[in-house]
Amino acid sequence: MLTRRHFLGASVLGASAAALAADLFAAPKDSKTPSADLETLGAIALAESKKYKATYCDIRIVRLRDQRLGMRLSAERGTSKTLAVPTVAEDSTFGFGVRVIVNGAWGFASSPLVTKEEIARVTGEAAIIAKANATIQPKPIQLAPVKAYRDRWETPHEKDPFAVSIQEKLELLRTSSEEIKKNQRVFGSSATLSLRSEDKYFASTEGSSIQQLILQIYGNLDATAIDRQAGISRSRSYVPTQAAAGWEYVPEMNFGENARRIREEVLEHLAAPPVKEGKKDLILMPNHLMLTLHESVAHPTELDRALGYEANYAGTSYITPATIGKRIASDHITVIGDRTSPRALGTVGYDDDGVKSSSFTIIDKGIFRNFQTTREQAHLVGDKESHGCSQADSWATVPFQRMPNVWLKPGPAETSLDDLIGGIEDGVLIDGRGSYSIDQQRYNFQFGGDAFWEIKGGKKRGMISRVAYQARTPDFWQACDGTAGPAYWRQYGTTGDAKGEPTQINSISHGCSPTRFRNINVLVTD
Amino acid sequence: MLTREEAQKLSQKVLALSTFPECQVSVSTIEQAYTRFANNGITTASLNLRQSVSIAVTRDGKTGSYAANDFDDASLKEAVKKAEELAALAPPNSERLPALGPQHYPTINDLDPATAKAKAPEMIPHVKTIIEAALKAKLVAAGLIERSRRAQVVANKTGLFGFQESADSQLTTTIRMADGSSSGWAGQPSLRLSEIDSAKLAAVAIEKCLRWKNPIRLDPGNYTVVLEATAAADLVRLIQGGFSARNTEEGRTFLSKKGGGTLLREKIFPDFITLRSDPFDRKQPSSPWTGDLLPAKAVTWIDKGVVANLAYDRYWATKTGKEANGGGGGRLGGGFGGGGSLTLDGGTDSLEQLIAGVERGVLITHLWYIRNVNPQTLQQTGLTRDGTFLIENGKITQPVMNFRFLESPVRLLKNTKKLGPALRVRGLEGGMMMAPSLVATDFPLPSISDAI
Repeated sequence: MLTRRHFLGASVLGASAAALAADLFAAPKDSKTPSADLETLGAIALAESKKYKATYCDIRIVRLRDQRLGMRLSAERGTSKTLAVPTVAEDSTFGFGVRVIVNGAWGFASSPLVTKEEIARVTGEAAIIAKANATIQPKPIQLAPVKAYRDRWETPHEKDPFAVSIQEKLELLRTSSEEIKKNQRVFGSSATLSLRSEDKYFASTEGSSIQQLILQIYGNLDATAIDRQAGISRSRSYVPTQAAAGWEYVPEMNFGENARRIREEVLEHLAAPPVKEGKKDLILMPNHLMLTLHESVAHPTELDRALGYEANYAGTSYITPATIGKRIASDHITVIGDRTSPRALGTVGYDDDGVKSSSFTIIDKGIFRNFQTTREQAHLVGDKESHGCSQADSWATVPFQRMPNVWLKPGPAETSLDDLIGGIEDGVLIDGRGSYSIDQQRYNFQFGGDAFWEIKGGKKRGMISRVAYQARTPDFWQACDGTAGPAYWRQYGTTGDAKGEPTQINSISHGCSPTRFRNINVLVTD
Repeated sequence: MLTREEAQKLSQKVLALSTFPECQVSVSTIEQAYTRFANNGITTASLNLRQSVSIAVTRDGKTGSYAANDFDDASLKEAVKKAEELAALAPPNSERLPALGPQHYPTINDLDPATAKAKAPEMIPHVKTIIEAALKAKLVAAGLIERSRRAQVVANKTGLFGFQESADSQLTTTIRMADGSSSGWAGQPSLRLSEIDSAKLAAVAIEKCLRWKNPIRLDPGNYTVVLEATAAADLVRLIQGGFSARNTEEGRTFLSKKGGGTLLREKIFPDFITLRSDPFDRKQPSSPWTGDLLPAKAVTWIDKGVVANLAYDRYWATKTGKEANGGGGGRLGGGFGGGGSLTLDGGTDSLEQLIAGVERGVLITHLWYIRNVNPQTLQQTGLTRDGTFLIENGKITQPVMNFRFLESPVRLLKNTKKLGPALRVRGLEGGMMMAPSLVATDFPLPSISDAI
């Protein structure tokens, strides 16, 4: 068991770790420089690394806070009473990780004890690991150049979501879950709200000293209905845009109206007939297409996958460096990698290599242009600088290449959703996330959805059920013949993106407009 | 790492800090060492310690919880205060049950000290063995070797206390042709790092890689399959959610009968299918308590083809007058409790004998990206990976392209014809269980994947 008592003098023992973290990360409003105490701690790792002949060192000191609130309502067995099960929980972790390059190899070590002595000790541990790794290192690590920054960056926000009262948040969840449950035929409902904050300090031997505050808000509504005679259970969800924002964003989630909508739609879903299998045209709404984009465009354009560094788990990619300049999608498809998109979950000031955030083109009118890269990868495809895609999910984990926000450019302003639907004789409109699965080179995928509507003769008809579609990625993106205009463009996030071994979790956003795909293989599921 | 004495002292300190009538504390410390390799070199390695103390306090049926990762007096005091502030604001929980009193948790202690303290010097030789074998065969190796040591503590104000230590390790490797035209996989979880056979794993992955080169396109359709033990476990373990007594009685699982009632005590699987969880199995010991903090126990879920038990968490057991036997911890999806202790009893045929009995079928090494398509029927989809072969007249004849599958563990077990001996295996998506290789008919492989 480790406690700060082992490392700190008596004068600071009265303070909790949370208080220490709060002090360290505190800064006057609009401050543009990191806290002096963080810079003092960071400098210890950088100086210590020189003793081990490290050619590079960085340190991240991180405090993560999560607040999870929920309300689940269900019918009590044998009575007409409704049972309510709330969740009111918070988590906090605080620690640091040190990365070094010694003898051309990486070493990493971390600790939950943020003290000067522990930072020095852990830097030594990282150097020992690097030396051991260097014995089986085919080529020395080569880092792309980066500018030195001294900066303080925050997610743009007006109101700190953690400062808002728990009562106000629980009231929102109570009224929303009760609104869904107002129809007695709805078996169960739930409403959740999660807040996340990441305070992060980064210092490197390149001369950078960067403090960041990243704020994220997620919400969810769920409705469940059961037909016991038919032996069927169905659900309907509302997942508002998960956003990097302050509390001022929450009213935009519009829980009330959407609670009423899914209350009716879950019952429609329960009675909906199954889809008829076959080749059909699809309209994929932004809250569905974001995941298809994530799995079949964002992941295969990660350079570490393409070069075999993820071969043992996440896999490789159907896209290789030889694909640069080649067509992989129709002319309608232009995709941007972006760590600057407003309110997107992957938006930061700087990545975990200390590279300033930017945007770059991944696919230009169907032609593959750029991989996602980090500093150690850029030279592998002849790039002079990194696209800023390095990230670790905690102070205890190693930064590596993670996807930025990846979004699809909207179509012409005059293209509406009705225009897209109007051009379909036999198709399906898919809304929301369902099950999703894709192979280890990102070729063959199958996606379900949360709700489905039949399209016949150019009109959206009634709800159908049990829909999934299967496709081969390059064929699917070539089959796109239109995407709606900027007025329809929406951005949705995903908060559980897993990659790496041991697995790390990432949060990013994907924006797009409703988009049409022709002649896709649709199947009926159980 | 936390000792039993430190755990007792720490938990008592937290409990004494709380002014609420009910306080439950859970402490977890995990030390992990790993070395990751790819393209025949080490890419990352780390030694890290994570610890957390989670405090849940309850008054008047209202619960708040707070977790932090510093164990200093001031931090613990603040964590308790935060939990109490949250509880004061929380609405009452309609399904709240009184705190449990003292429990007698069985001792499940099979920690191997050498595994628990292994670092790079003990792991790098395994990595060298794999990479040297790959280089000798002009192939490219990637993989992971890791070990973890955990201590888990639970305690409450009414005298409950539990302490559990464990250690585990695993090595997995994927060996590919340099031009990316073939891939083979092998993996071994082991409670003892010293029992990991890296030379054998390298040989298996290399053989699969060399043998899988230039796979043919076999028509999609329903096939008889031989699932190697890892592939069988990848799917079979997903049957757990369907055994939730609450969900089943509410009409939401494959064990719910149309119009009401359940399939409990009905025979729906072949005679030789027995599925059980046993936290005391020395081959795969697991937690001595369930998610509800009741003592874990061995339970048979499918007994010679008959649905023998449903999983009752503490709340649902109380509500229905049954004995709690698993699940809990707020996991409405069910689960058997004592995670990681699931066993599908095996047979006696070797993998070669299973293959020899198949006239025409597909041999599958392991599965990937498995996702639930229908939570009620447990229909899953995913893909085959790293070694898929055509079997003709009892022999492997050709490598075949990977397939997407669309099948439930329920139908898989119903269609199972033969079993090999059960082994402890762990799939890519983390599920650990004792599973045999098996032969099953009518396994849906509806589309081809071009992935290598």
